[in-house]
Amino acid sequence: MSSELAPQPSSRGARAAVFAQLSGAGRSEQVAQRLIDAILLGVLTPGDRLPSEAELAQRFGVALVTAREALSAMRDAGLVETRRGREGGSFVLPVSRAPEALLWARLRGLARVDIEDSAVYFGVLSAGCTERAAEMAPDEEAARLRLWLDNADFAQVSDAARNAGGFYLEIAVISQSPRLVREQIRLQAEFGSLLWLGVADENLRRNIYGQNVKIAEAISAHDPEQARALVRGQLSELSSWLLAAKERIEQ
Amino acid sequence: MAMRIRDNVPDAERGRECSAAIGALFTGVFTMLDSWRTAVEKAGADNATTRIDSLVYSLVEPELTVADPLVIGAGFIAAPETALSQALHFAWWLGPLSDNPLLGTTTKPSRLDLASREYAEYLRDFRAFEWYQVPETTRAGHITGPYVDHLCTCDYILTLTVPVGVGGSMRGVVGADILVRRLEPEVLPLLRATESAIALVSSSGRVILSVSPTLRVGSIVSEASAASRGWDAVPCPGTQLKLLMGENI
Repeated sequence: MSSELAPQPSSRGARAAVFAQLSGAGRSEQVAQRLIDAILLGVLTPGDRLPSEAELAQRFGVALVTAREALSAMRDAGLVETRRGREGGSFVLPVSRAPEALLWARLRGLARVDIEDSAVYFGVLSAGCTERAAEMAPDEEAARLRLWLDNADFAQVSDAARNAGGFYLEIAVISQSPRLVREQIRLQAEFGSLLWLGVADENLRRNIYGQNVKIAEAISAHDPEQARALVRGQLSELSSWLLAAKERIEQ
Repeated sequence: MAMRIRDNVPDAERGRECSAAIGALFTGVFTMLDSWRTAVEKAGADNATTRIDSLVYSLVEPELTVADPLVIGAGFIAAPETALSQALHFAWWLGPLSDNPLLGTTTKPSRLDLASREYAEYLRDFRAFEWYQVPETTRAGHITGPYVDHLCTCDYILTLTVPVGVGGSMRGVVGADILVRRLEPEVLPLLRATESAIALVSSSGRVILSVSPTLRVGSIVSEASAASRGWDAVPCPGTQLKLLMGENI
């Protein structure tokens, strides 16, 4: 998540919600989770100083030792650093590329309705881009998309995630609409890393590549309906996988 | 625009004057790019990168900061330093921007920082881009677009590039980006000064701007489709652009 791509003004309300009181079991995990989500969502930004252990304990309504455990877990995850001295404290570090563990934590932290809704929105946007690309693409651009896809690696997990997103960005470019391109970039910065978690699954990875080949063919054949249906199908498969994974880790 | 279109001549003649005026607009940019190319070539092949960077900035800065600039971005994109590398070096600046989706509002030129564009990591080799590949192959100036530039401006633009390199070596391209939006007030009056100029299209027939609501920007008018409607494609001298002339239907 680059702050340049997804400017997230940290409103006072959002900050207050980060530090609202907690209840229930596993409180140190909950404290850490709340802070991790705040960092991933940009409410807390690199360089921000977290409240002290004592303040955290008070604000979350947990024991001092619980707050200490939570901060220690975040240090271990490379999210904050603790400096000593008068100007000391725990400071948020830049998260250039959210490690997978953090994404899983974020998946746990999001409501099902929000995951579903983000996937629907991304699906509608991408289906629209694809439909228009199928209407607009001259033969050489369709061929260029196909060539890019032929050489794109979907075998490795990290490459597959990057290329799955890149594929939709290429399609948005072919649509000739700057607004659609910007919205693709914005949405992928916000939701892409989570959405492509499913490429960790080898079967899903293979399916996505196969679907992308068919999408490129539909664009090339100027078949907007087929292209749209394929994109919606892929997004539906990805969101099903995410919801199933969420169910697994929460059981 | 220095060139005027006379209203006391036949419309075919006005069409030629219109295409000549459009050609002159772009030839002006190519002339500027040629002078940049000469300056970069003179600076030598083994120049330290920082020296090339400051040279390029001194060339592009006046163009980007002039009042109502024609070019929104400009610079030099250097070829990979070794045959093993694919990495291009971007000495490229964007002019002051208002409300850009990536860079916000800026009052001074800002340098393109590709490392900050994480979404572009899926791109493997920038040399495959038309604005690099065509001048590399043809060794001549080229106009790419209109297209959505998602690396730099995040807007709809034309990119003019000229190859750099003495004696057949490829050292990169110097180039300039022009917003399609910025061209409208320059070029639409030229089209309207004729009876029959309908649209300005790229070499592949993509509409840059038109006076007909049925010819949408970004759509493609193939040669066959233009011919079937009885339209002439008049070349704009010094460019690969064409002016579609005929009955507006």
